[in-house]
Amino acid sequence: MTTKQDTTTDALPYEQPSGFEKFRETLDEYGVSKAVTYGLLGVFLVWTLFPIYWLVTATLKTRQTLLSFPPMWIPWNFHFENYVQLFAQRPDFIQFIINSAIITITTTVIATTIGAMAAYAFVTFDYPYDLDFHLPFYILSTRFMPPIVTVIPLFVIFRGIGLVNTLPGLILVYTMFNIPFAVWMMKGFFEEVPDSLIESAMIDGHTHLGAFFKIVVPLVKPGLIASAIFTIIITWNELLFAVILALNSNAMTVPVGLASFVTKFSVQWINMSVGATIALVPVLLFAFVARQQLVRGFSMGAVGK
Amino acid sequence: MATETEADREFTTTDVSHLETEQSTREKTLLWVDDHLKWLMTLPAVLILFALTFYPLVRALQMSTMQFLPTGTTFVGAQNYVDLLSNEAFINSLVVTAQFVGIAVGIEFLLGFGIALLLNKKIKLRGLWQTLILIPMILSPTVIGLIWRLLYAPNGLLDYIVAPLTGGANVGWVSETSVALYSVILTDIWQWTPLVVLVLFAGLQSVPDNISEAAVMDGASRWQRFLHITLPYLKSLIVLVLIIRLVDALRVFAKVFVLTRGGPGSATNVISMQMYRTAFRFSNFGEASAMAVSLLVVVLILAMSFVKIANVEFGS
Repeated sequence: MTTKQDTTTDALPYEQPSGFEKFRETLDEYGVSKAVTYGLLGVFLVWTLFPIYWLVTATLKTRQTLLSFPPMWIPWNFHFENYVQLFAQRPDFIQFIINSAIITITTTVIATTIGAMAAYAFVTFDYPYDLDFHLPFYILSTRFMPPIVTVIPLFVIFRGIGLVNTLPGLILVYTMFNIPFAVWMMKGFFEEVPDSLIESAMIDGHTHLGAFFKIVVPLVKPGLIASAIFTIIITWNELLFAVILALNSNAMTVPVGLASFVTKFSVQWINMSVGATIALVPVLLFAFVARQQLVRGFSMGAVGK
Repeated sequence: MATETEADREFTTTDVSHLETEQSTREKTLLWVDDHLKWLMTLPAVLILFALTFYPLVRALQMSTMQFLPTGTTFVGAQNYVDLLSNEAFINSLVVTAQFVGIAVGIEFLLGFGIALLLNKKIKLRGLWQTLILIPMILSPTVIGLIWRLLYAPNGLLDYIVAPLTGGANVGWVSETSVALYSVILTDIWQWTPLVVLVLFAGLQSVPDNISEAAVMDGASRWQRFLHITLPYLKSLIVLVLIIRLVDALRVFAKVFVLTRGGPGSATNVISMQMYRTAFRFSNFGEASAMAVSLLVVVLILAMSFVKIANVEFGS
């Protein structure tokens, strides 16, 4: 349609098409423009996906074929024993996975609950002193705060109260970290719930809190799932807080474990690739479930529902 | 018998009265909860954020005026801030961060906008394209650092690709002082260009067709339509995506940590890395806090001025 409309420019007497426009139209006629579009997008897609392919296939190679000249584009002999070897050589890696899983699940449940409640309150109630504007603004502004700014005093505070190297310490920090996202994502979903539903439930004898759980929560389930998945991904991936607040394997997470495969002087290539591939799987699985909402989360809700 | 009935009666009366009081307290509690619901529902979020962001900020401010010594802490006033001005490593980290942010965000924006425009044409399987290019931004920065560390490895894939240009010599992607920062930038571009694409593409999709059609009828060229319709329409999203990228790029840590640890030398020593080194390698919490406060001020000014620019432009 657009290309057809473009040609109507020719018919207009007062605006002659520029040389570039004519060139474009000639290209369009021969389908060249389309080919260029797909070509460029194709290049971008290969650029985006190839590094991931390279990591995953690296786990199936040997130390010799991993970094060979010319490179081994397709690993013909699958060396699955690399996966067994990681856990044999680094038995602590399983502990990292368990720690990460505990931290991620607990954080997700707490942050989503707390964030959703706050978002609902801001959408539903009127607060004095314009707090229904200022409080969400304050909560969201913490999203812009560089984590390194808070992590240094937090380390000192946590050391004082014995929360360094503990799972609750990290869970607390990640809950704080994720609440702004949960509030931001849930607000939009609560705004779509009609007030009349809650009112009629309350006339039926429900308390407001009861109506919230029985009527509102089921309606915004997709939003809850989306912000839960967003929290899972962020928490599972986080390195900075973990590297500072979890120094031993009591609370070390997968990203810290992965970073330990790389030192200034050497890299355990195979173990590193296997570990990174394992760390990548849950994220990919969850992301495909909530792919529509993810951009919304990353863009602070600017991209529509 | 008599005692039994009396005991029974007594038991029933106490039981009933007990039930009654419990019911009424339960009801009272529920009523009280409903009356205070707006505060109760926001309290946990506000408390946690207060305790874990506001309080640490106050502590950072306080710590930035102190010197931490093995014998205890001493108040030094603004000395840490004064020291920052002559701290070469800190000033270098500001320069490195500015280079990183400027180049990475600039290229991400231009490249992302271009891809979004391509995607906005009639493309088959657009949903699939969108989902696939989403992948880098959800991966852990640690994993991304490792993926690219593998690509940058000596005799690795990238060395092979550029071999015709270098005559087979290794580039030293993460070990050569003049190259390392660009390798980190390239990795950041790989991860975050998709965000620009997806946000701006969503914006392009919302440009109303009728305005564009009317412009076509008026004889506007493609370029004119882009300049006078598409661009103003996207302005708020452009500002937003630039703020998000800018603020996030300023705090880059994990990628640098995994790729170069801030090295070689101080070639990729971004500000987060410098603060990490100062606090946790040199145990200089006072000066690190002074850096943290300074960084926060910069981020605040940047975010606020961006919002202001955006508002002014929306107003006109």
